[in-house]
Amino acid sequence: MDHAHRPGPWISAAAWAVAIYLLVPITIVIPVSLTDQRFLSLPQEALSLRHYATVLGSPEWLNSIWQSFLIAVASTAIAVVAGTLCAIGCWRLSRKSTELIRALMLLPIIIPSIVYAIGLYRYFANLDLLDRFLGVALAHGVTGIPYVVITVSTALAAFDPRLEQAARGMGASLSQTLRWVILPRIAPGIVSGAIFAFIHSWDELVIVLFIASRDVFTLPRRIWDGINENLDPAMAAVAVLLVVFTLLLLLLDLALRKRRDA
Amino acid sequence: MRRQDAGWWLLILPAFLLMTAFYVAPIAQVLAISFTEPSPGLGNYERLFTSESVQRVILTTLRICVITTSLALLLGYILAYKIALASEAARQWWILAVLVPLWISVLVRAFAWVTLLRRQGLVNNALMEAGVISEPLQLVWNEFGIIVGMVHYMVPYAVLPLLASMREIDPRLLAAARGLGASRLTIFGRVFLPLSMPGLIAAGVLVFIFSLGFYITPAILGGGKTLMVAEWIGLQILDLIRWGLGTMMATVLVVAILATLAIFSRVVDLRRVFGSGA
Amino acid sequence: MSGTGHALALQGLTKCYGSFTAVADVSLRVERGEFLTLLGPSGSGKTTILMCIAGFVAPTAGAILLDGKDITPLPPERRDFGMVFQGYALFPHMTVAENVAFPLRVRKLSAADREAKVRAALDLVQLQGFAERLPRQLSGGQQQRVALARALVFDPALLLLDEPLSALDKKLRAELQEELKALHRRIGRTFVNVTHDQEEALSLSDRVAILNHGKLIQEGAPAHLYEQPRTRFVADFLGKSNFLQGEVRESVPGGFVIGAGATRIVQAVAENHRPAHGSRVLLSLRPEKITLMSEQDEADNIVEGRIAAWSYLGAGFGLNVETPDFGLLRVALPTWRAPIAPREGLAVRLGWSAAASVPVMEDAA
Repeated sequence: MDHAHRPGPWISAAAWAVAIYLLVPITIVIPVSLTDQRFLSLPQEALSLRHYATVLGSPEWLNSIWQSFLIAVASTAIAVVAGTLCAIGCWRLSRKSTELIRALMLLPIIIPSIVYAIGLYRYFANLDLLDRFLGVALAHGVTGIPYVVITVSTALAAFDPRLEQAARGMGASLSQTLRWVILPRIAPGIVSGAIFAFIHSWDELVIVLFIASRDVFTLPRRIWDGINENLDPAMAAVAVLLVVFTLLLLLLDLALRKRRDA
Repeated sequence: MRRQDAGWWLLILPAFLLMTAFYVAPIAQVLAISFTEPSPGLGNYERLFTSESVQRVILTTLRICVITTSLALLLGYILAYKIALASEAARQWWILAVLVPLWISVLVRAFAWVTLLRRQGLVNNALMEAGVISEPLQLVWNEFGIIVGMVHYMVPYAVLPLLASMREIDPRLLAAARGLGASRLTIFGRVFLPLSMPGLIAAGVLVFIFSLGFYITPAILGGGKTLMVAEWIGLQILDLIRWGLGTMMATVLVVAILATLAIFSRVVDLRRVFGSGA
Repeated sequence: MSGTGHALALQGLTKCYGSFTAVADVSLRVERGEFLTLLGPSGSGKTTILMCIAGFVAPTAGAILLDGKDITPLPPERRDFGMVFQGYALFPHMTVAENVAFPLRVRKLSAADREAKVRAALDLVQLQGFAERLPRQLSGGQQQRVALARALVFDPALLLLDEPLSALDKKLRAELQEELKALHRRIGRTFVNVTHDQEEALSLSDRVAILNHGKLIQEGAPAHLYEQPRTRFVADFLGKSNFLQGEVRESVPGGFVIGAGATRIVQAVAENHRPAHGSRVLLSLRPEKITLMSEQDEADNIVEGRIAAWSYLGAGFGLNVETPDFGLLRVALPTWRAPIAPREGLAVRLGWSAAASVPVMEDAA
């Protein structure tokens, strides 16, 4: 491909500029979090870990991190089980009605969270699920389903339907076919979906703003309050921790994809 | 429906029930309120034509969304073009540069922009120290700040569908055009751009509908002064307890988004738009 | 692993997809231990019939009977049929042994029984020593044998084969054809095979059923089908054929005479199949049944023509001879017995006996 068509120098420069625009704000929080000052700024005389110490020594922050983690785990479980089974069913039946069902499963990506949030605010009040772990886990689980449906459907598109027929033809029941043939083949897609569903819940704020207040106080909720009330470098430390955590999950996903493609 | 298919339908059932009971039902119920509170009828929708503040919010939202979409498409197109024509090894890194911001918390990104753009922020400080300006610029808590933050959020969503459609363009076509003596500009204008048009439309639709209902970035970077519909809805319901008005606007928002999708589903394969999101 | 096979019967099998009829009223019997091939071009409905037998496709009408018992409503997993899929459908994440053991695992056999049966099945297809390989580490021919072992390991009532050899190259295909035939003899089970390859069908099968546009056109032993095709389609699809069209002019003892232009052709026919005087008939004449005649040679039928094109095919010559009344006639000559050196434009005399050709019907559109 020596003579491949390549973009000209101006376009290349512009592309670099866009990439910098995308990445700089994310990286700028790192030096800010290491500042030795008490206000948001770049480090003046020395690098300092004091703001990390503040965050990691604060029971409020730790409690929020723990709550967010538990909610993300529970909601990921809901999204993965429901989303995977649904994607498999739609794939196998593959007709007009299942296309509609698949479109229904994508609604949480299309409809703005604010609309869902005000809906839940009223709905959960009647069910006594406001400010409850179960309520937030359910809401995040349901809105996490699309991510799983998308990744699992993508994995299934590469799955030879004759393998399913072969298994059935040899006498395997539906559950045996699922456990021994389909699930092992699409496991990488399921893991990808799980990672995205987890990140979705871990970062979700709008719904939480409406259906949780005191007992359930997730990490994004605490960051929100922090941004609105006291902009201090501890916020930057939290931001860095979040970025690192998300990056690790993304790298995990990339590594799994590499292994699958190899 | 064949009896043998019953088992497969059973697999769909849990997700269908969850989605109906805990997603569709709450939304349908709350949207219905727009016709019943404070009094039954279309009273809330009359405000669309009579209330100046309602109209202002809608116009502000549309203006910001159109600007955001245009800028995100422009920047996204440049990036996708570079990625599509990059070598295999370089492409991996460029794609990573798009995927990482996509998955970083929107809160973290809004916070980072505040750090950079506020009055005593890094940008103003740097410019003052360099002597370019004497007074800090008003870069955030206005429409400018909202657009900077929103475009930043939307560029990755523009790149993915654009890239998907650009990757389908046979590179031999470009080589052939060059072999026939076409200049770089002609190749782009006559071959590349028309062939990437489906991706451009898909990206435009995606970014526009995401922008319409955006909450967090405008709320943080707008500083409460510039209101977009999502924040306005939240305000009506949480602070002013005006359910009728809030749900009316939510209904309008949902209808606008679904209508946009319906119109463009004839032009682009929407499954591809959302299929490439992950 | 031997035993008597089972008999299968299709009664009025029909499958429609909307307004499209994939299979139209097909009735067919497969006897115990028989090797039957469904042969037809793509879109002839042969695969749909096999999928109906396997239970993956529900027929719109008609019934499928195994030893006289109606099995039409049974789902595939309860039919106990072995199947070799097109492309084999081996589970890529399982080893050869795990693939072959799959039907046994499903039937909850003990580990010891499984191991013994898997070993026996791998012996049967001569794949000892490959048990721990993954399918992608095997050649196409080996994969095909794994698929066979997997389909036979649980003593199925019937073995279904969906284009089992189509993924292999020509030489390997011939080799595996012979193996498959020997395997069938050894285990004495009932095989139903689907293919579009007429050579494969002729060499493997006890009986062949020819399908076109979802209809059963003719069935019978391979030699019978080749020698006595009932319709133009059968004659054309099984091997190559020339078609001579003419009008019945007169009756002669043991046959009749047709005329086309200035040419008279004598055709042998059974007494009760004489066509009416003056009716138009179509004769099918195989290229290898035509001989080149010298000036003195005599034959029932003689037609003169010129070589329009020829090709050397190793074992034989293929000639296209332009004739005044029948257009181009294809002639196949064994190389070692060719009386001439072919050359374009060369005048030749073609001859054949009255029993060499056979009257066939035009196919309904």
